Amino acid sequence: MTCLLCGRSLPKKLDLLQIFGLMKRQSANVCSMCRQAFSPIETACVGCGRQQNTTTLCQDCRRWQAQGRQLLEHRALYQYNDAMRRYMQAYKFHGDYILRQVFNDELIQMIHTLDMDVVVPIPVSTTTLATRGFNQTTGLIDGVAYQALLEVAQTKKAHQSQLNRQARMTRAQPFAMAAETALTGQSVLLVDDVYTTGNTLYHAAALLYQSGAQVVKSLSLAR
Amino acid sequence: MKRYYGRQIVQPKIDPIPKNAVVSPTFRQNICQRCGQDQRAALPNHAYYCRACLALGRVSTLDVLVSLPEPNLFDTPTDLTWQGQLTAQQQQVSAALLGALAHQREHLVWAVTGAGKTEMLFPFIAQALKQKQRVAVISPRIDVILELAPRLQAAFAHSPQVVLYGEQKAPYTYTQLVLATTHQMLRFVAAFDVVIIDEVDSFPFAGDAMLAFAVQKAKKPQSTVIYLTATPTKRLQQRVKQRTLNVSYLPLRFHQHLLPEIKTALVGNWRRRLPHQMVAQLRELFARAVPLLVFVPHVADLAPVFAAIQQIFPTAAGDFVWAEDPQRVEKVQRMRSGTLHFLVTTTILERGVTFSGVQVMILGAEEPIFSASALVQIAGRVGRDQLQPTGLVQAYLQQMNFKVMAAQRQIKQMNQRGRQLGGQR
Ligand SMILES: [Zn+2]
Ligand SMILES: [Zn+2]
Ligand SMILES: [Zn+2]
Repeated sequence: MTCLLCGRSLPKKLDLLQIFGLMKRQSANVCSMCRQAFSPIETACVGCGRQQNTTTLCQDCRRWQAQGRQLLEHRALYQYNDAMRRYMQAYKFHGDYILRQVFNDELIQMIHTLDMDVVVPIPVSTTTLATRGFNQTTGLIDGVAYQALLEVAQTKKAHQSQLNRQARMTRAQPFAMAAETALTGQSVLLVDDVYTTGNTLYHAAALLYQSGAQVVKSLSLAR
Repeated sequence: MKRYYGRQIVQPKIDPIPKNAVVSPTFRQNICQRCGQDQRAALPNHAYYCRACLALGRVSTLDVLVSLPEPNLFDTPTDLTWQGQLTAQQQQVSAALLGALAHQREHLVWAVTGAGKTEMLFPFIAQALKQKQRVAVISPRIDVILELAPRLQAAFAHSPQVVLYGEQKAPYTYTQLVLATTHQMLRFVAAFDVVIIDEVDSFPFAGDAMLAFAVQKAKKPQSTVIYLTATPTKRLQQRVKQRTLNVSYLPLRFHQHLLPEIKTALVGNWRRRLPHQMVAQLRELFARAVPLLVFVPHVADLAPVFAAIQQIFPTAAGDFVWAEDPQRVEKVQRMRSGTLHFLVTTTILERGVTFSGVQVMILGAEEPIFSASALVQIAGRVGRDQLQPTGLVQAYLQQMNFKVMAAQRQIKQMNQRGRQLGGQR
């Protein structure tokens, strides 16, 4: 067995603490050196999961609130540091699908902890699916039952100047419901690979609320 | 369209295929058709991809391989603009290479380091280019390619050449003369009439099935392959013995001097304290301001050995360097310019670098990291300069072994050939 990220061989024996269940067992597919390079989010903004010194709402989240949004109470496992950027590069852009296993256990644990009625991944376009061959988000949560309720909206090729003006205002809804679904009274967990501005997830949440969801929260690997 | 000539380009099945292109599947019987390996990893919906050659961009069952047969459509000038003279020896090898070209055969050039093997290639390359053949000069080592590129460009000033390696950003163009790392050969198919492999034995080419496959695929079935090395692998040496591979020797350096031989000294545990013979030699070398490389087996040995030398010789300016050292380039540069008197190093400096007038010491030469080839290469660092054609190659060992003896023998044999040609110490 070799480390999925650096290719060095992994030690075989399990740590005693892990055997007796005293320590959280992490997926043993990455060496400790590579594992250390990722930095877990410990204290975070309750709105967006951003690493900070306190749990108080950050500037960005107060802005979302001011726009009348229901906050997503987003949770992210890791900071988007250099190691995470390189990981995403390899996994998503170089298409090394096997790397989904690196954080799979941790994400599954988190989804169980959050205990929502429905898990909905952020979709990718059909072109991406035909070339990359996978949705990076559903790959990350491989093994969890989810519902692919969203799809990427078919955008008509807009005129460049029009697009720029649109971009200057706010980006249009990039998603559509994949099928008419009644979510009345349901709690929904949206999952994405990375939380950057929150735009993507708030757009997705808006659609789910329109379909009757009672509460929408979100989770990502990195923030 | 030209960018498809002799290339094997990976593209998504959904992309349009250029006219007349040959389209082939990415996998046959589970074997990746770009790299020849079976290191598949699953994608959803029964698709899969190859992890062995992932560094060159992913090949998957969602893709096809697209190529246009090499047409050898070259109309650029091929004249040799190099004005230099070959030595009598170099001329002999050059003639042998022209023979290999005429018969489209393989040929090994076993040349000591500093023999001037690049120049000796010029008439051969010129002849191949003149015959509209497509020529690849490749090496497992990128530093070798980067050093060769300007020299070849100067020698064939009117022939455009493209230089291909992993991190480079410049776009690919169709040229008759191609310089590349061996990895890049994975992107070609039946493209080259001539393949010249420099430092064929150097990591990671030796014994790497994928790269051997790459070269096999990139050349045409009828082609000329030239291997250049100072330290041929066992396999190449065997083929020479069995007479299935022709060989030319270049036992003398361009300045007509013999290779320095490896001196050995049995010492105690040098990891505990520096051998007193070594201290005495250091004193003498530092007094004469001779630049010095001290090779050690492991990265972990660097700092302690460096500290021990510094403690005894506080005025000698030195440093230590290893493969992943972020300041590697700067340190080598400071050694070259003479700002540093000595450099403690791992085997990364065994080849490729030239320091004028340098002498070397090898601590723990019997340890596994120093192969016989590595020791010959290390000895080859010394005496590169016409003004200082000889110097000290001192190995300190806790015990003698066959490998060190094999290295010594290899150098002695080359020197014997050299002496017959009139070489001097
Ligand atoms: Zn690792
Ligand atoms: Zn926030
Ligand atoms: Zn492959």
